[in-house]
Amino acid sequence: MNSELQFVTAAIVDDDKIFTYGFRKLTGIKGLFDEILDFCNGKEAIDYLTDPQNSTRLPDVLFVDINMPIMDGWEFNDAFGEIKSLLPKPIAVYNISSSIDIEDINRAKKNPLIADYLLKPLNEIYLAEIYHKLQYFGKDIKIG
Amino acid sequence: MSSEVQQFSGENAAHIAHFADTGVSIWRYNIDTREVWWSTGFYQALGYQKNDIECSYSVFFDYLLYYEDRQKFLKTTLLTSNSVENSAHIRLLTKHKGYQWFQNTTKQYITETGRFIYGILINISEAKTAELKAVENETKFAEIGRIAKMGYWQIDCRTMELELSREIYDIYELNPSLPISVDELLSYFLPQHEPVIKKAIDDALQHCIPYDIELQFKTAKENIIWVKCKGIPVIDEYGRSKYLRGIFQNIDSIKKRGITMQSSINLLDDQNKRLQNFAYIVSHNLRSHAGNLKFMVDLFEETPAEHERAEIFSHIKTISQSLSATMSHLDEIVKMQAEISNGTKLLELADIFTNVISALQADIKMSGAQINTNFSNAPTVNYIPAYLESIFQNLLTNAIKYRHPERTPVINITTYKAGNEVFMAFEDNGMGIDLERYGNQLFGMYKTFHTNPDAKGIGLFMTRNQVEALGGYITVESAVNIGTKFTIKLV
Repeated sequence: MNSELQFVTAAIVDDDKIFTYGFRKLTGIKGLFDEILDFCNGKEAIDYLTDPQNSTRLPDVLFVDINMPIMDGWEFNDAFGEIKSLLPKPIAVYNISSSIDIEDINRAKKNPLIADYLLKPLNEIYLAEIYHKLQYFGKDIKIG
Repeated sequence: MSSEVQQFSGENAAHIAHFADTGVSIWRYNIDTREVWWSTGFYQALGYQKNDIECSYSVFFDYLLYYEDRQKFLKTTLLTSNSVENSAHIRLLTKHKGYQWFQNTTKQYITETGRFIYGILINISEAKTAELKAVENETKFAEIGRIAKMGYWQIDCRTMELELSREIYDIYELNPSLPISVDELLSYFLPQHEPVIKKAIDDALQHCIPYDIELQFKTAKENIIWVKCKGIPVIDEYGRSKYLRGIFQNIDSIKKRGITMQSSINLLDDQNKRLQNFAYIVSHNLRSHAGNLKFMVDLFEETPAEHERAEIFSHIKTISQSLSATMSHLDEIVKMQAEISNGTKLLELADIFTNVISALQADIKMSGAQINTNFSNAPTVNYIPAYLESIFQNLLTNAIKYRHPERTPVINITTYKAGNEVFMAFEDNGMGIDLERYGNQLFGMYKTFHTNPDAKGIGLFMTRNQVEALGGYITVESAVNIGTKFTIKLV
């Protein structure tokens, strides 16, 4: 059974070092995600995703903060839309933020590229759900 | 005895007596004997029974006749020696309806039996009341016009004849005795408004379209005021304009108050937006610190290993410091609002600048920045000292923080005047910023655009708030790798 499970890589895109540290720590303790990458801002993430050298090491899911310097979450969403079709595999994108502004929430939820908008601090049960879904269904998506 | 008197015989008196039964109210006074006689109609007209009141001269004069009308009564009756008919309006006390107006027509008759004065009373209260009411209404109408600063006008569409109420002349500050044409009246409107009113009147005359517009015009005494012009066409049976009538009202004070109010509303609106933005940002910032704090505390509890706990605790410490920093930013903003009440002072720009420079000495030395100032064109400004210091400090700190890594920072600060306004230009040769991408966020709170670890995103937010609080504005021009120029309208 276990051998059929997908190896799931998550990437966190956030300039908040403490949050990134906590994310790594929490997922480590809870055994969520098999590998974690982190990027300081949207531009670093896009650069990584579009670099052909990394094509075999792409994450399966991205958690993208909204407030970041250089390239913020909104700009990342736009940039991701442009490169999405060039990527060798599907990547789920979640926006994460502390903002409870309804405009921010709707803006993310209305974007078909974005799987969901998660409020910080992240709910570990929901994270586990995301992880398990990708573990079980990732293969089907890839084949399909 | 005159011949005129002679011709009146007892017959005439008998005729009058004949009327006595018909309900006409008649009184008769014998000048010689002072005897008084009242007809049945007299009693009826006043509402009395015969035995209610004594029929005497003194009852009539002292009781029935209103005291203010006594002189008038005497003048038109007793004091006239000739036998010409005299008439006066007098008030008599009726039994049930208080004083009523009567027309008293009198005539002297001299007969063989003596000298008589006959009087006929006709109740004219209704007509009198209507008349008084009309006068009162007219006065009221004029008074309303005067109070409302509003006049009435009418144009006869066929002849273009113009009828104006007195108040219109007053609004125009014109002599009411001079005739004036429609075109002349329109020529008082300001050049940009004259075509508007002309078109409105044309449309009303030609196409029966009513109008209601507010325009500015210059009175004969050259006062520029706002007026409300309202016109309504009155149509004939063919549906064409017969008359154009309307009002013309001086609404200058209302309009000016409205304009002031609108600008206050705009100012409040801006302030409101800023406060909302501020509340949003503070809440976001506190929320993310609080979220992280909870995150770390939870992890701390779930982590048994001592060395890992130490690491988590160091993060908790960092969050605590960030929280303090956020609180101090909050304090700064609250302080900035409080400074406004301290008021402005006439400040020497060079003095303030020197203070700021000495406070930033270490940073300036470290960066090797070269700072050139020229305050000669506008050496002083009326400003809140703390604000001016803060503006200098934020812009200088920014210029040094975002200096270009490959060249010596050069900062040029110049002040100049344009009319009564004082401007400051603040120019650097630093990294610059992509305004197309960040322009609208540049002055927002906690917006940072570089990976610079010192970037806190509060400086320009504060600067803009300080500048705008004193009625000025700040604009920016920038090119990446070339430099940035801020222009501030101080006052």
